[in-house]
Amino acid sequence: MSREQDLLAAFTEFADTLVADYDVVEFLHRLAERCVEILDVSEAGLMLADRNGTLCYIASSSERMRLIELFELQHDEGPCLDAYRTGVAVHRSTSDDANERWPTFVAHARGVGFQSMSALPMRLRSDVIGALNLFSTAPEPLSLEDQQVAQALADIATIGILQERALSDGQVVTTQLQSALKSRVVIEQAKGIVAEHNHVSVDDAFRLLRGYARGHNRLLGQTAVEILNGTLASEALAEPTRNQPA
Amino acid sequence: MVARLEPERFAQIVAAHHDQHRDPASSLCLACVDVLGVSGAGLVLMSGGRSLDFIGVSDRVSDAVEQMEYTLGEGPCVAAFHTKLPVFDADLADERTARWPEFRRGALAAGVHAAFGFPLLVDRICIGALNLYHDRPGALSDDQIAGALVVAQCASRSVLAWQADAPPGRVAWQLEQAPNHGVEVHQATGRISVQAGISLDDALVLLRAYAFSHDRPIGDVAADVAAGRLRLD
Repeated sequence: MSREQDLLAAFTEFADTLVADYDVVEFLHRLAERCVEILDVSEAGLMLADRNGTLCYIASSSERMRLIELFELQHDEGPCLDAYRTGVAVHRSTSDDANERWPTFVAHARGVGFQSMSALPMRLRSDVIGALNLFSTAPEPLSLEDQQVAQALADIATIGILQERALSDGQVVTTQLQSALKSRVVIEQAKGIVAEHNHVSVDDAFRLLRGYARGHNRLLGQTAVEILNGTLASEALAEPTRNQPA
Repeated sequence: MVARLEPERFAQIVAAHHDQHRDPASSLCLACVDVLGVSGAGLVLMSGGRSLDFIGVSDRVSDAVEQMEYTLGEGPCVAAFHTKLPVFDADLADERTARWPEFRRGALAAGVHAAFGFPLLVDRICIGALNLYHDRPGALSDDQIAGALVVAQCASRSVLAWQADAPPGRVAWQLEQAPNHGVEVHQATGRISVQAGISLDDALVLLRAYAFSHDRPIGDVAADVAAGRLRLD
């Protein structure tokens, strides 16, 4: 497929996802993965502001990306924070003046193999609600054309989040916390089971679980429960699933 | 002497402890240590009365003691959660007390001489516990107890406020920032259940037993198992 076709397929896929009962984090993880496929980047991740305006990690294309996003948040410096705070896209290479602006972050990013990065603000009218982070192991920053495509993908993420926020108001938080904690236990245990059965890392096990859930139109939590109670065999996860729209 | 603590004042103290290198729950624990004059504090959440998530600690000693309590499944935090009442152990070296003997032994070895647990209550539901540790034996003063109740209430409210902003089905990011040994414990439990061909409950028992018998923090053992560096079968 050409890049334009890839992009169109991604837009169609995400439009189909935005129905009443969807998992916004799963949606954003998938978006991060599509960014890596469509754009000339190695990793992608998304950060979102909470109601107090504090930026939080939300999704990424890999564990490595998750860790570097958390690093940005902890040290309060990096392209994603700048894009969020200024509302302007950032495109930098670790060899240029980025070093002065984000000394701690750049040293760390280089250490884990990244040489250039972009961050696109997720805008809603005059507000910025988060940012899309794109990291590359190649030294060249994104081409102009890629920058525009990246902004279009960031806009899709914004739409997805707005949709979800409209649905989630008025939840009973305690119950939600309990079930979120429980669901996390189940997902982590399922990762362990799949990792052991399939002789893969915990990170890869997570990918298998998500791949299966997506390919079979199920929620991640549901799939994890099935692994735990044995109604779904770990081996079934290794089978290739259809994840490109026809 | 600790002055009477108001929730608003405590919130200000927590804000003063906020630091870009620190997660919000740990800032809360540090503020608690400052205000109450104890040597350490920790916050844990429970789900379903069994699984426990460490969300914040003030220091390394408290982290070690919390992990030990989880390994053993006994201690003031576990008791506070189950009874929904504050639990006081003012002298862990006092041999006349028969409660949680292994916890007491381990805590003393880590330099903790007094331990206290306060339930985190939301209406009548207990979501976890605030633990206070002191490096000298001695009961909490009335003001310290009143202060601890205020801190526990603030902590419950903060947890709920954080979670209110989390996407449905997900745990708030603020509760994920501290070194959460819980995540690795759950992954390790899954792996062990396959390695040893046993249930998840039994796998967790095995993990705890291994950590206990090798005198290692359960988080370290779990990290080794999760990464495939250690097998328990």
